[in-house]
Order: sequence, then structure tokens, then C-alpha cells
Amino acid sequence: MKQAVYTIFVAFWACVLTVVALDALTPAAEAGDGQETKSTFTLAEVAEHDRLEDCWMAIEGHVYDFTAYIDQHPTPPEVLEPWCGTEATEGMRTKGYGRDHSERAWQMAEQYRVGSLAENGN
Amino acid sequence: MSARTAHRLVWLAALLPSVIFLAHLDASAIASTSAVLNSTGRLTGVAGLSMLLMAAILSARVPGFDRPFGGLTRLWRTHHLLGAWSLILLLLHPVLLAFSAAGASIDSAAATLLPPLSDLASWSGWAALVLMMIFLAPSFSFFGRPRYERWKKIHRLAGPAVALALVHDFWLSRGLPTWLDIALWSALALLAVGAVGWRFVFSRRIGRLAYTVSEVTAVANNVVELSLEPHGRKLRHEAGNFIYLTLEDASLAAGRGEEHPYTLSSSPDERQLRVAIKSLGDASRATQTIRPGTTARVEGPYGRFFVTPDRVPEPELWVAGGIGVTPFLARMRHLQRRGETADVCMIFCVQDPAREIFATELQNLADQLEGFRLNIHYFYREGPLSGSYLDEACPDISRRSVYICGPEPLNALVQQHAAAAGIAASRIHTEEFELL
Repeated sequence: MKQAVYTIFVAFWACVLTVVALDALTPAAEAGDGQETKSTFTLAEVAEHDRLEDCWMAIEGHVYDFTAYIDQHPTPPEVLEPWCGTEATEGMRTKGYGRDHSERAWQMAEQYRVGSLAENGN
Repeated sequence: MSARTAHRLVWLAALLPSVIFLAHLDASAIASTSAVLNSTGRLTGVAGLSMLLMAAILSARVPGFDRPFGGLTRLWRTHHLLGAWSLILLLLHPVLLAFSAAGASIDSAAATLLPPLSDLASWSGWAALVLMMIFLAPSFSFFGRPRYERWKKIHRLAGPAVALALVHDFWLSRGLPTWLDIALWSALALLAVGAVGWRFVFSRRIGRLAYTVSEVTAVANNVVELSLEPHGRKLRHEAGNFIYLTLEDASLAAGRGEEHPYTLSSSPDERQLRVAIKSLGDASRATQTIRPGTTARVEGPYGRFFVTPDRVPEPELWVAGGIGVTPFLARMRHLQRRGETADVCMIFCVQDPAREIFATELQNLADQLEGFRLNIHYFYREGPLSGSYLDEACPDISRRSVYICGPEPLNALVQQHAAAAGIAASRIHTEEFELL
């Protein structure tokens, strides 16, 4: 047992260092890598992308295209589907039961940002 | 309920949150490699934390609580195994989640492992894990074998580690419906906090009895037997139990005020308690020169070595190695005081005649107990205890229940011989004094 625990202990640090090293060697991805960077969209435009195969959301004044991310999201796609094409700040902030998404989740969302929400919303 | 069943129940309880977690997973949890890694990562977190909490619950050391589990040393083996699995699973937990995030990008994998400083939920998990690595390193001899007291001090970091792990869990857990999540973890957390609270607050106040060292008898050049006189209430125990003894002698070179486990060598019917202490570490070496009049605190009793400590209804085989003779000595003294008969074949294994502690008393007790046969095995002359020696000393071994107390190699050897003689595992009882 001692050997098993020690092996995992060493493997743990090897994995952590590998991930950190790989990250340091990879050029940083820029926010909004996706598409029309810095564009402005109205809620009506966002609402056109209201399916899992084409899923946009407006969150806190930004617009995201989450189509490519749906499969990776921990909850089943059905949970996300109603939010596609809508102002989804509530979903992001509460996960439906009063708990905010993690800082990491917010950071990951940046990769899917495609623009901002128009001032007047619609 | 057998001890084995009791231990199985502990493992089942420790696995319960994982089972509930698995029951709440759906198809999307295995939809892609990344999703599988993510679900597995979360599962290792759930399982690791519940095992950590169960290990904490088992550390309470409430006298009597260890009996259904076959004694405190066996309970601690389960505690130790739970701790080992908990550390393994919790080390895998962040790595698997990072691998899962690597499905999106290396950047998000790195952000999973090392999130922004503002992400206190994740960092509390990190802090708990680092504390676990520190306080469990000596338990698994990562960097050599530690001294007992040092190991014990480091092990106290388990408290903050469990607290931080719970903060991390309550903040991030989302595998179960909220009410079930809160109910399940709160119940385990309350039990764990209660157990640790008992251990460090109540047991010190009400669980320890005051005694005075009334007599110190040199048994050999490295073994003393202390007699302890109760101040007020006397400890109730049975033959074969052990206690935690704290000695308060200001002149002790080491181990003053520290608690150490020792087997009681006195009969439960005696007014005084007796413990035989062999010089094995710093504290037990210092105890060799302790003076009568020293105040002692006694916590216990623990352990459940003998099935029927007060009499010998079925034939028994006892194998003692060195200082491992103490529980047998206690029972012989007890049986003799009660005028019991004892169909016992005892083999006392020592290196050489110079180390045959309590030789005269053992022989006298053996002579007074009807049916008792005492054999002394000298390692230097006869080598390791062999099957043929056992057969000769105790020809009817297969009809006897077996009790072994001695160093681990002797223990393993006798268990082998007993199994070969056709004795069922349920009739072989052992008492380890190696706690790790």
C-alpha cells in the first residue's frame, strides 16, 4: 500500500508539472478567437441561434457562441438548450439552483465570446 | 455481528456517497472522452472525501467503540486503508479534471489545475490536498520512518485538511440534488467533527482517569513493570486490553505528558493496574528510570483480544513473542486469581534465556493453572518457529483456537502454520503492537 500511495504521489506532481509546462509552451489563445470579434449584436440576432446545433447566449452584456462547447459541458445538453438564443446571465450565475459558475468556467467562456450585446438590448 | 461484517459496513458507508453520485449520472457523463474524464474526476473527489471523513470518524478512540470491530488496532488498520485510498483518489481528482478540460485546450487544463487566485473554492481544495500530502507522508513513509510523537503531531494537520476539503466540497459539489448533497455531507461532516471533538476535547477531560505510579519493578535490563494506584474511580477492563498512558514526571528525559499505548498486564480483579514497558523508543526508554509517586493519566480500555477473557471454555493455543507476552500474562494472572482451569498450550518465543521476561512468574502461574502447558522457544537455538516444533509442543493444535501477540514476522509465521493445520481464520486471533 505504501508503494502504491507513493507512486500516485509522484505521478500527481509529474502530471501537474507536465500540464503547466505544456501550457507555458503553447501560445496563448486570444479571447474571441471564434468569429466576428468585437461585433455588436441585438437580442433579436442572438435569438436566431436558439438550437443546440447553433447556440448563442447573451451574458452580462457579452455574446457567446457555445455551439462547439455544448458537448463538453458537464450537464446534459437539454439543460442548456432552453438558454440557447436568450439572455442567459441568470443561468450562468445560478446554474439553476443558486450557485455561480466557477471562476474557471467564466474564464473558459471567454474563448467562445463573439461580441457584445447592443446597448438597448433589442 | 462479526468484526469482518462491521468493517465491511464501514467501507459500505464510505462508498455510499459515490454510489448515490453514480446513480445520478446520465448518458452525457459518458458521451465523450472528455466527459468520461470529467465524471471520473468528480467521482474520485466524492469517493476521496467520503473516505477521508470516514477515516476521521474512526479516529475518535471512544473506549468500547472499537469492540465490534475486533479491537482498536484492527479499527486503525481500516482507518489507515481509508486514508490511503482517500489520498490516492484525491490526488487523481484534480488531474482527471484537468485532463478533461484539456479536451477544450491546454490553457483550460492549466486553468483547472491553477485557477485565478480569486477562485477560493478551488484553492481551498488545493490547500486541503497539500495538507494531506504533508500529514500522510509520515504514515506512508514517504521520506523514511518518523518518530512516533513527531508523526502524531504532523497527523494533527488532518483537522484543517478535512475542514478545507469540506469548504471545497460545499462550494463546488453539484453531482447530487442540492438537499441530498447538503444532507449527506453535513451528516458525514458532523460525525467527523464529533469524533475529532471527542478525541481532543472531551476524552482529555472526562475520558482520562488519574493514577499514581506506586511501584516500579525491573523485569529485565530493558523492561519495567509499573503498578498504578487509582486516585478515585478505577478503570474497568478485561484481560488483554490496552490503555493510553500519560506520565507526568518532570524528570523524564523524553515522553513527558505524551500518551503512549501499553497493554495491561494485571488481572481486571486487581485494585491496581500494571503495565510492562519495554525500551523500544525514546519515551519507553525514559520510562525505565521513572520514580514511584509520578502522576499518570489512563485512557481506555481498548482492544478485544480474547473472545472469553475470564475463562477458557475451549482449548486454546497461545503464541507470545517477547514483550508480546503481556496480554497472556494478564490473562494467566486473572485465571489464576479466579481459580479457573485452562486447557492452554502456550509457546513463549524469545531470543535467548536472558530475554525470557517474567520467567519465574510464568512458570508458577502455569503450574497453578490446571491443564496449562508452557513451552519456551529460543530463537538463537531453534531458529524461526517451525511447524514441527508446534506439532511437538502442541500435538492437538487443530482443535484449538489460536491467539498470537508478537512481532509481525512471528505473527505471519504462526498464522501460516495454523492455517496449514486446518484452523479456520475465524479462530485465529492476533494483536499487533505495530500501529503503522
